[in-house]
Amino acid sequence: MSTVSVSKLSKSFGPLRVLQDIDLAVEAGEFTVLLGPSGCGKSTLLNAIAGLEDTDGGIIEIGGEDVTQREPSKRGIAMVFQSYALYPTMTARSNLSFGLRVKSVPKREVQRRVEWAASLLQINELLDRKPSQMSGGQRQRVAIGRALVQQAKVFLFDEPLSNLDAKLRTEMRVELKRLHKELGATIIYVTHDQIEAMTLATRIAVMRGGRIEQYAAPDNLYEQPATLFVAGFVGSPAMNFLSAELIGGTVPAARCGSTVFPLNSYPFRASPNDSRNIVVGIRPEHITLARPGSTEHTIEVETLFMEPMGADTLGWFQFAEQRIAARLPPQQARSIDGRARLALALDHISLFDPASEARL
Amino acid sequence: MTAAGANARIGRIGLYVLLIWTCLFFSIPLLVVIATSLKSSDEVRAFSIFSLPTEPSFAAWIKAWFAACTGLNCGGVHVGFWNSVRILIPSVAISVMAGSVTGYALSHWRVRGANIIMLFLLLGAFIPYQVILYPLVKMFSTIGIYSSLPCIVAVHVLFGLPVMSLLFRNFYAGLPEELVKAARIDGAGFWRIFVWVMLPLSVNILIVATILQTTGIWNDYLLGLIFAGRDNMPMTVQLNAISTTSTGVIEYNVNTAAALLTALPPLLIYFTSGRYFVRGITAGAVKG
Repeated sequence: MSTVSVSKLSKSFGPLRVLQDIDLAVEAGEFTVLLGPSGCGKSTLLNAIAGLEDTDGGIIEIGGEDVTQREPSKRGIAMVFQSYALYPTMTARSNLSFGLRVKSVPKREVQRRVEWAASLLQINELLDRKPSQMSGGQRQRVAIGRALVQQAKVFLFDEPLSNLDAKLRTEMRVELKRLHKELGATIIYVTHDQIEAMTLATRIAVMRGGRIEQYAAPDNLYEQPATLFVAGFVGSPAMNFLSAELIGGTVPAARCGSTVFPLNSYPFRASPNDSRNIVVGIRPEHITLARPGSTEHTIEVETLFMEPMGADTLGWFQFAEQRIAARLPPQQARSIDGRARLALALDHISLFDPASEARL
Repeated sequence: MTAAGANARIGRIGLYVLLIWTCLFFSIPLLVVIATSLKSSDEVRAFSIFSLPTEPSFAAWIKAWFAACTGLNCGGVHVGFWNSVRILIPSVAISVMAGSVTGYALSHWRVRGANIIMLFLLLGAFIPYQVILYPLVKMFSTIGIYSSLPCIVAVHVLFGLPVMSLLFRNFYAGLPEELVKAARIDGAGFWRIFVWVMLPLSVNILIVATILQTTGIWNDYLLGLIFAGRDNMPMTVQLNAISTTSTGVIEYNVNTAAALLTALPPLLIYFTSGRYFVRGITAGAVKG
């Protein structure tokens, strides 16, 4: 268990700047998820921390020691890869013990650690099989086992679940959470799957174009996204964005079409300027069907279609030029047809500057 | 039977007739050589080359192996056979091993100037070697090993390296990069990863490379003639010397037997290891 600190890390492939002055601090025992679309630099960052990728500038510290120039094996890390990367010609047991044998760990100790990891992951009966004789989920367990026996200070996971089918993925997610709890290990985990990120992380770093857009706890990230990108990327279906005009004064308000919403309870980061364009972001679960007769904080919309999801139904509506999604109770959703009136929970909105994309 | 069915049947028969004809046509030279090698000298002269041996015997084969003459030297082709083996084993072993290490380095390690090296390898693989024979001869005589076993082995290794390196590079490039990354995190270095992780995965491609090099080196004539020297003359060079000997009566049966003996090793290799060959060529997509 150990801290990881990355400061001013940069890396270019030719003219393409894949990492731009990255700063990231991971506390001991923390489960940090690097989340972002493909090509955002999250895997490059992980590889740089592992020492598998040379960097152009910046410092990487693990457990307080500068490891920027050290070999991967001298950094006190262990890593699990997307393709498992098990040695195909070795049995699971040899796969687990390879690193320890390379480091000339005494035989008894090797055996002890392999047994320990195998029973922790429930792979004892797989130990004498080769990777080709295992299912995807079993291979992933062995790959995790190979990382565990290293007794590393920090564990790095590079999209470890994305090759598994949906059911196995859910299972392994729970398993990883349990491991983290049981070992108290520091984990850095790369994924493009926001559900994995939300469920596993103690903190999520959302990346885009070689930068970290926001680094915060999952709840915080979800409820108060720092940028338009984070707001749109985290959450499914995505947050609704309504373009509006800000009206300043003693009681700031937003004019959205013919409706005006008061913004007196909104925690502005800086005092808002008068009449400018803004983006109002609101999540589908914060939109409800308006009570009959009530017109406060409501918008009038055209019903497009309904998507029943079981527990709730996603309603899709047209409002001015924009399409809006609302998460509705199924019984209520069935009664909607044609024009409808929706109420917005103003306590839960986020406001953004469309030019800088930053939260207001 | 319908008219269409009958037509299809006629087409089928036509196809097979054509195929059998083609097979026969292309195997005629081989059949003639085999038949001639089993005849006696008199029979060869008395009858057409297409006639079958009346009393098949391996006498010509035995003579070719033990007593065929090159000039005044009547030791048979077995002398050349053992020379070829002595040239073959170190040449194949060194070129295959060196090629696999080069291919591994070029595919999985960031080598400075790897692209330039690849360019030269491609050039090396496709340049006709007749072009550089003379400088090579000069070079070897300057360092004093011209016309010796080390000389011919060095030549075969040099000419084999480009193709071997490319073959192994392409094979290793098909293996997941994460395999090397995982091994590096496990603390293994360049050589340990090569020996413990890559080589065990390379069995098929090693067989392919060995077959390619073995047949290529065994069948080589020109390089052996120029670089091996009189004492290490490979079988092919000796075969040529036997068949072009102009003194006395030409013993076609012995010549054909010697030719077959020379061609036998590569043929045996193809027949016994063909399936490895196909498997190895298609083995690019190895998955865990």
